[in-house]
Amino acid sequence: MRFNAVSRPKTPQIDMTPMVDMAFLLVTFFLLATTFKTGEVVGIQMPLSVAGLNLPMTDLLTISVDREGRAYLSMATPQARRAWLQRHGQVNQIAYTEEEYRAFEMLSGFGVPMTQLRALLQTPPEQRKRFRQAGIPIKGDKNELADWVVLARATIPRLRVAVKADAHTPYKKVEDVINTLTDLNVLRFTLITQPKKMSDDAGY
Amino acid sequence: MLDIDEIPSSNRRRRLGGVKEKPGITTDMNSMVDMAFLLLTFFMLSTTMYRPRGMELVMPVPDDAQTRAQEVQAVKASQALTLMALPDDRLYYYRGLLEAAAIRASNYNPDGIRAVLKTFVGETDKPVVLIKPHPDCTFQNLVTLLDEMNINRIGRYAIDGISQDELTLLQQLGVHLPPQ
Repeated sequence: MRFNAVSRPKTPQIDMTPMVDMAFLLVTFFLLATTFKTGEVVGIQMPLSVAGLNLPMTDLLTISVDREGRAYLSMATPQARRAWLQRHGQVNQIAYTEEEYRAFEMLSGFGVPMTQLRALLQTPPEQRKRFRQAGIPIKGDKNELADWVVLARATIPRLRVAVKADAHTPYKKVEDVINTLTDLNVLRFTLITQPKKMSDDAGY
Repeated sequence: MLDIDEIPSSNRRRRLGGVKEKPGITTDMNSMVDMAFLLLTFFMLSTTMYRPRGMELVMPVPDDAQTRAQEVQAVKASQALTLMALPDDRLYYYRGLLEAAAIRASNYNPDGIRAVLKTFVGETDKPVVLIKPHPDCTFQNLVTLLDEMNINRIGRYAIDGISQDELTLLQQLGVHLPPQ
């Protein structure tokens, strides 16, 4: 008799193995391809442009300028950051501790005057967001931005400088940064933009 | 998770005449799939696939005012076009020498300044463009103008500060400018 067969409908069995294979393949791919979004020191909405120059991932110093014109610096790789800070310590006779070096290596960018840098480095990472970064002084009696750029160039011979300014930054603020660079004979640099299609209108 | 197949008895019965038979072991893969896709989603979202793009800007060697004045004079008035980027996305331009009658208004749309540059490039031998951003115009304005240089293949252009004469003339023409 077939009573048993009726009472228990067949559950279709799906072989999940290939799906698992594929999923893990993709996981592996993304795992290897990922460069984690480093916490941006400041949110910047880049201007739109049709320019499509690819920037290098290493040997790059980025000067970010936010809407209010505060300047921030970020160096591409941790090794370069350490060497950069070492040089900064030598020149300014500051003995940074190993912890501070390590904190600087992890720091994606900073925008504080030199006097506050140690305080920033000693702040625990999770509280750093709340640290009010006033921007690197450009005007005034000491152009610290120029000092940092000089040190960076001395640390990395093939350094490329990029200016990443917010689309809404007044030109005069960007001009201050550009003038700082040209005064240091950094005449070739990159303006970081966000790609747009050419057919788009001005994009406002 | 790992369980001995519940159906081996029926299987066995069906394959009774068959050759060797492996013990039917199936693994419940569902949770593994869940986890794999969870990881997949996480990595997909956290990956920055795009690399930063940019435009190259080459500034002239900073030189003394005298050489610059000579350079400016070396450019014939007929070859020059001056763009003045003003605050609030306003754009004015003039060809040749600075005169009130030569100043025209334009905009950043493709049918605005791009068309102007296109005719200018078409009519001029060795065109030179001077980009003069007002201190209070936005960075986007400058980038858009630099973009237009690339689009119209203008190789010779320079960024310069807007002069007091130009500002005065613009104000005389009724263009509202923020106080300096």
